[in-house]
Amino acid sequence: MPVVDIDTDELRRLASTDDTDDELKAQLFGLGLEFEGETDDGELQFEFAPDRLDRLSVEGVARSLRYQQGTDRGVYLPSMNDPEWTIAVDESVPDERPYVTGAVVRGLDLTDAGLESLIQLQEKLHATMGRGRAKGAIGIHDLTLMKGESIATDREKSITYRGIDPEGDRFVPLDGETDATPATVLETHPTGEQYADLLAGMDRYPAIYDDIGLFSFPPVINGQRTEVTTDSRDLFVELTGTDQWTIDKMCTIICYALDARGGRVERVTVEYPDGTELDCPDCSVTEKTISHDRIESVIGVALSTEEVIDYLERAGLDADHEAGAYEVSIPPYRVDVLHPIDLVDDVGRAYGFNDLEPRYPDVSTIGGTHDRTQLEDALRETLVGLGFEDMLNFHLSNVENCFERMGLEPPAESVVGGGRPATIVEPYSEEYTIVRTWALPSLLTVLENNTHRRYPQALSEIGLAATIDESVETKVAERQTVAGVLGATNASYEDARGRLQAIATAFGVALSTPATEHPSFIDGRTATIEFDGEPAGVVGELHPRVLVEHDLELPVVGFEFDLAALSA
Amino acid sequence: MQLPETQANVLESASASAPTPIETIATDIDEPTAAVTRAAFELEDHGLITVTESTSDSVSLTEEGEEYRRDGLPECRLYRAAATAGADADPVPMGDLIQAADLGGPAVDIALSNFARKGYGQIESGVISIDPDADPDADAEAQALVALAAGEPQDDTPIGSLERRGLIERESSTDRSVQLTDAGVTAMMEGIDVADTVGAVTPELLTSGEFESVEFTPYNVAADAEQTPSGRKHVLRRISDRVKRVLVGMGFEEMDGPHVDADFWINDALFMPQDHPARTHWDRFALAEPDRIDELPEELVTAVERAHRNGIGAESEGYHSPWDEEFARALALRGHTTSLSMRYLSGHQVGELEPPQKYFSVEKVYRNDTLDATHLLEFFQIEGWVMAENLSVRDLMGTFTAFYERFGITDVQFKPHYNPYTEPSFELFGHHPTTGELIEIGNSGLFRPEVLEPLGVECDVMAWGLALERLAMLMTGAEDIRDLHGTLADLDFLRTAEVTH
Repeated sequence: MPVVDIDTDELRRLASTDDTDDELKAQLFGLGLEFEGETDDGELQFEFAPDRLDRLSVEGVARSLRYQQGTDRGVYLPSMNDPEWTIAVDESVPDERPYVTGAVVRGLDLTDAGLESLIQLQEKLHATMGRGRAKGAIGIHDLTLMKGESIATDREKSITYRGIDPEGDRFVPLDGETDATPATVLETHPTGEQYADLLAGMDRYPAIYDDIGLFSFPPVINGQRTEVTTDSRDLFVELTGTDQWTIDKMCTIICYALDARGGRVERVTVEYPDGTELDCPDCSVTEKTISHDRIESVIGVALSTEEVIDYLERAGLDADHEAGAYEVSIPPYRVDVLHPIDLVDDVGRAYGFNDLEPRYPDVSTIGGTHDRTQLEDALRETLVGLGFEDMLNFHLSNVENCFERMGLEPPAESVVGGGRPATIVEPYSEEYTIVRTWALPSLLTVLENNTHRRYPQALSEIGLAATIDESVETKVAERQTVAGVLGATNASYEDARGRLQAIATAFGVALSTPATEHPSFIDGRTATIEFDGEPAGVVGELHPRVLVEHDLELPVVGFEFDLAALSA
Repeated sequence: MQLPETQANVLESASASAPTPIETIATDIDEPTAAVTRAAFELEDHGLITVTESTSDSVSLTEEGEEYRRDGLPECRLYRAAATAGADADPVPMGDLIQAADLGGPAVDIALSNFARKGYGQIESGVISIDPDADPDADAEAQALVALAAGEPQDDTPIGSLERRGLIERESSTDRSVQLTDAGVTAMMEGIDVADTVGAVTPELLTSGEFESVEFTPYNVAADAEQTPSGRKHVLRRISDRVKRVLVGMGFEEMDGPHVDADFWINDALFMPQDHPARTHWDRFALAEPDRIDELPEELVTAVERAHRNGIGAESEGYHSPWDEEFARALALRGHTTSLSMRYLSGHQVGELEPPQKYFSVEKVYRNDTLDATHLLEFFQIEGWVMAENLSVRDLMGTFTAFYERFGITDVQFKPHYNPYTEPSFELFGHHPTTGELIEIGNSGLFRPEVLEPLGVECDVMAWGLALERLAMLMTGAEDIRDLHGTLADLDFLRTAEVTH
């Protein structure tokens, strides 16, 4: 979940409040921002769910607080000046990163705290909406250090977004010592190395030019020439990415933050090669309609029209009521409102969800467990009655445990326990790379890990085993398998056979055990388990090779069969 | 006077003039020492004899000590082999000496360390030289072994060092003797009748009616017996069963479905954008083989894609994220059991569902993470949902409050939260029944219209989820989740964990 660092003095100033830190903490908790701790600089850190990304900086948090405290009501739109600058998109722009947007903000007087907050907002937007800069990346420049070339008669100034050969030009990156090509920056600059993956496989790299030359290499790094400092008064914000809406919204959130710091936002015109022209950022309100009935039904309380409008305005929205419904205006920084239902949540939060009285719903249904659960429960009870300790092992395993240590040669498709295993991509642990094909290896591992514990050890498990089967919907045949082992100084085949007989009797199936061979068991002491004449599994004395492999120093008998075979 | 046979025999063998050791009596009357001891105490209770006790310590050689007494201490053997090889003049390679002294296995290390400790010589860079003045024949430990074996320990016997080397063991034993009291002598003179005592109830005893005239040999009923091996249901399974019982009691029906499933059912149907961090994050258990589902309900796929791209109506936005059907077809181990909810709600699993419905599952989910004391790669998720007309947040609160009350959590708090698939959404918190700590106990909400409309659901659905292990750790006090679940399980923990009910 995102974390925002808050300088509480800044917050008090921006929210026009005298509240103490503790009072602020309590109010922010009400907004869903949970106090996490302090930074080394004494700023307070708050964690929040990643819906209200407009709260990624102190300016946005202050705006929410102003609404919460009633200082502000209704929709706020910053005033926007008409564009003076144009971003021209060249035909050469990389197909992988075709979109651009931007804004100019003038008249700022950035303090250290203000600049720090801007940098934080930029980084947090990169991490969230920008999906690690892949979907959207922000570059902020000192406008006075840029020189615009006039490309059209009716406009003053222009910069160009284009694609260039990775070795095609040179610039001095931020924190760089000398000028370098974009390709060199990716190899030698720390930030370049960090984001090089985003450009992997691209023939042309994204680059932004002004009249003087290359000054931004998105999504990696800006040039040093246009670096923003506390002396910067006028800023140029540019964003590139893979989705126009996303970068426009990121831009909007930045413009709202700078507006809160006294900046005057000025639109920028974006011209695409196909002739499309956009005035950015698009700071218009959107409208959605929600019925009064729906609000009452979801929250579960009766509300008057005035109350609903009041709650909406306290959430920073505007609402007109007509014919049992509200037409709600939503400001452009609200990236989380995807559907009218999201407005109900705003009403609920303003009302105070915690003030609601829980009620048990009058929904009458008949409950019950699944047939499989009932069969499993019945068998588990039988196994426990036979003295087995019920185990619950991981379904994930590895080829070594499932096959090799059991004496099976993968995939061993013709024997019980074999088959092609479902295999995991890039497992984090070498121990867990496949879904187990049978459960007996898990029980042997438990025996192996418990040789210091009292014997006899009788263990059983009913759980999942799976193998690849192209004929199944999910390509994996999943079954509930039943396995049991008995480790004791005098354990023999008959101990397992006897227990199987008890199980067969309990479930009313006829057990037969014709001799078979299986690599995990001793020849001549191994049988196929048949219930009512149908093969269901295997039973026998575990082969000494398998025992020694598991550091066991006494005989072990074991069996495994399909749970479903008992329900036939 | 009538006494059981053993007691009568003991009385007979005891003397009034001097104490007789119990062992002596046991030999005399050919009964086990334990039985004689028991009889002696019974007689003492009757005031017929007195039992006196004395404690004595004895020292005996262990198997290893006995071996060294016979063959010589390893370090002495090493010294002698070195002396024979002329190591008093020139150092001799260690390997040659070890072989000459016939040392093997752990005896090699024992020889080397004690050789050095006793100053028999120098061991450097693999060669051994000896101190010609040392005398292994006078080795105090070697001599002590001989003396102890002969039962003649000397005052200066180095007991401590021999015990540290595990060559001797000390035992303390209690010797008991009995002597007739005056009452005992009187009883003897008056004559003792032997009463029948029997060890076991036999069929003959019962059918003959003989049990009426016998006395049963008493047992030490206060003593520990060897514990009976017992089977029991796994502690986590018991808790899962309890959760199931509570939910069934609340009218919920159980779901079942695949562990390996398409991302479509796990995430897309749930309105999780394809570029959501949870879907690109490495903690997703994607499958290398098999890697693609072929069968998906075509109309539903189209409807879900539309919801992602454009929303579900004029005032619905959808996501500004890429959507690729191939990604939806990718197979993975489910990260949550909400895949089952999607299968059921869509009608794909058990046919179209008409409200009202309540469903649940307590099933495994998978997360590609590091295994540690509080994180498992696979764990159980409790999942539940209610489908009905006009459900409200208050209904949600009432339902989950009722559920948690059954587990002793009576003060559930609902913290507004955000999930991509529910709105409104709430994290559930409650106080630990014993420690009082405020902990997260679940996540809940009303499914968004973008989830429900493509599934063809026209009423409301509220849902919640919770990790079963979380509940289990609270209920059992387990501190390491790995004790509870998996092949690292400690049988002793499972055998001794208190049964929950």
